[in-house]
Amino acid sequence: MNKNWVLKLGAAALTAPLLAGASWAQQTTLRVFVGPNQRPDLQAKLFEQYTKANPNVKVEIETGGATSELQRQYLSTVLNAKDSAIDLFMIDIVNPAQYASKGWIEPLDKYVGGAASLRNDYLPVYQQANIVDGKVMALPSQGDSMFMYYRKDLLAKHGIAEPKTWDELSAAAKKITAAENNPNLQGLSLQGAPIEGAVCTFLLPYWGQGKQFNDAAGKLTLDKSAAVNGLKMWLKMMDDGVVKKNIAEVTTPVTVNEFKAGNVVFAINWGFAFDRFKDDADSKVKNNVGVIPLPAMNGGKSATCMGGWQWAMNAFGKNKDAAGNLIKFLSSKEASAFVAREGSILPVYQSLYSDPAVIKAVPWFKDALPVVLGAQSRPMVEDYGQVSDIIRTTTSAVLARTKTPEAGVDEIAARVSRLMR
Amino acid sequence: MIVVYPIGKLVYNSFFDIDKTGAYIGFVHYVDVWQDPQFWNATKNTLLITLITVPGALIAGLALALLANLPFKRKWPVRLSLLLPWALPLSFAGLIFAWFFNTDYGVVNDVFQRVGLIDESVSWLLKPNWAFAAICLTVIWKTSSFMALILLAGLQMIPRSLYEAAEVDGASRWQQFWQITIPMLMPSIIVALIFRTITALQTFDIPYTMTRGGPGESTETLAMLIHKYTIDYSDIGYGSTLAVFMFLISLAVTGFYLHHIGKNAS
Repeated sequence: MNKNWVLKLGAAALTAPLLAGASWAQQTTLRVFVGPNQRPDLQAKLFEQYTKANPNVKVEIETGGATSELQRQYLSTVLNAKDSAIDLFMIDIVNPAQYASKGWIEPLDKYVGGAASLRNDYLPVYQQANIVDGKVMALPSQGDSMFMYYRKDLLAKHGIAEPKTWDELSAAAKKITAAENNPNLQGLSLQGAPIEGAVCTFLLPYWGQGKQFNDAAGKLTLDKSAAVNGLKMWLKMMDDGVVKKNIAEVTTPVTVNEFKAGNVVFAINWGFAFDRFKDDADSKVKNNVGVIPLPAMNGGKSATCMGGWQWAMNAFGKNKDAAGNLIKFLSSKEASAFVAREGSILPVYQSLYSDPAVIKAVPWFKDALPVVLGAQSRPMVEDYGQVSDIIRTTTSAVLARTKTPEAGVDEIAARVSRLMR
Repeated sequence: MIVVYPIGKLVYNSFFDIDKTGAYIGFVHYVDVWQDPQFWNATKNTLLITLITVPGALIAGLALALLANLPFKRKWPVRLSLLLPWALPLSFAGLIFAWFFNTDYGVVNDVFQRVGLIDESVSWLLKPNWAFAAICLTVIWKTSSFMALILLAGLQMIPRSLYEAAEVDGASRWQQFWQITIPMLMPSIIVALIFRTITALQTFDIPYTMTRGGPGESTETLAMLIHKYTIDYSDIGYGSTLAVFMFLISLAVTGFYLHHIGKNAS
């Protein structure tokens, strides 16, 4: 064997681990938390696109917590412990203010160019929710809003127009259920169980009377009589057989399943549900689903509850620069268009509601812009967890008829006013 | 260290406004807890669950243990049926019973309607008293097998000769039960009661999965309230204070039992 060759081989053997170590050292691994209802499968495709263009970054996905509350509980535990294991995570629209007040999330100004950068094409509600005390605390990624789904076939069969008010909806539901004579058919399904959806069940008819829950400074501005009216409307629908008696047991997935099974004329649910009705193998209503804005109260206007998910950065994370670059990509217009096309997820950019590629993939989005532009956010306060718990628990108790609407609203007012002074 | 540090940290946290200013606030949380109607409601519910389910599980567990102690040719089916509820996770038991009591699909409504006890489905878990009863029933079902396992071990320690001597003296089965079985089983009963009472005071999983404390807060326990403050509200200071109260209650109850064990032993 040539002596020179042996020397070269030896040198290569010695330097190879060092070179490999150097390239390994440049590789950054980002751990990202995505809830199961935020389509981790689609996010994985986005990460793949990103890592292809940025080979020095590796993204690992962690998922868990089936609902917004459970995800909030998990993240609260991690962030309370100042854990750095997760770099980025998705949070609900109601959470940026709460997480920012606790110092759990890193301001993103230095990565995205300040609050002004958010005042572009994003839906206004996301601009409002993600800027806290003038700082960008999170970036919108997936839009969501509550819609009224209905059975197109049943309304057409009975010659009924799309309802514009709750009274019209109630009358339509009564007429259809009476004529169909199917004991399993409900008029309207909504969420009355003590979950996040029940906060919207309380707010929809309240906002629909033109009332606000809080002012710009976050102070409670609850109009008790309007709130009582709203709750009484649900109870009347229960008495009239439009809403089922055990509505206080109904969660978001229950409404999805009831509507999918063809047992509901009208259903209030989030935007994601459309895909389930349309694509799920067990859906019996595949081609008969209509979507309209939520009806208005008499003399009021249509109001709906805004949801949606934002990317936030762990304030205790160790890879902030890399995470900042990834977060910019994840909340880009391209990423929003991708999840809109592939997953029927409402875009967070206004212009995408008229984007030909998006509309081709999800035609009903072309009618969704006025709904999401008029949608309102639940109170964005520091103590949102507590505010939400008070509203949903009390609303559910009223719908279970263990409290009167008056007593329930008094309780909400008394307890929430201490938190939203 | 393993015992002292967490308890010490819990007490330490209870004196701070952790989630807001982080400042030392002395006994403010303690005064707040004392004046908090949610605390008293949860404490009342916890004590009621303890008072109902501990004796309930003891009686059911004793019956199961006596059954399992009978001279069956094949003992494994009985022992397996004893072990199964014990082996199930608490939250799983809660979910199963939540389904049993479901208004639309529940087996309880179905059976009651078939035998003519009710005309139409009842929303058991939406009525405070029925929801409470359903939770107690589930807790008794879940925990009686644990009681039975301890009592079965105790039963097998009782010498057969005692029963043979009693039979020679003409004692009836009932007299044998009260004069031999119960006194000889007393140490096992007290051990089972201590374990069960302490875990009953910490009841969380079953009401959480069955009712989430509802309707309203009518089935909320102290452990659920602590979870709510520490996890849902991230208010570690107040949650820690609630936990200190729960710890004191557990300590008092354990002290009461130990005092009685002492008496019993002497």
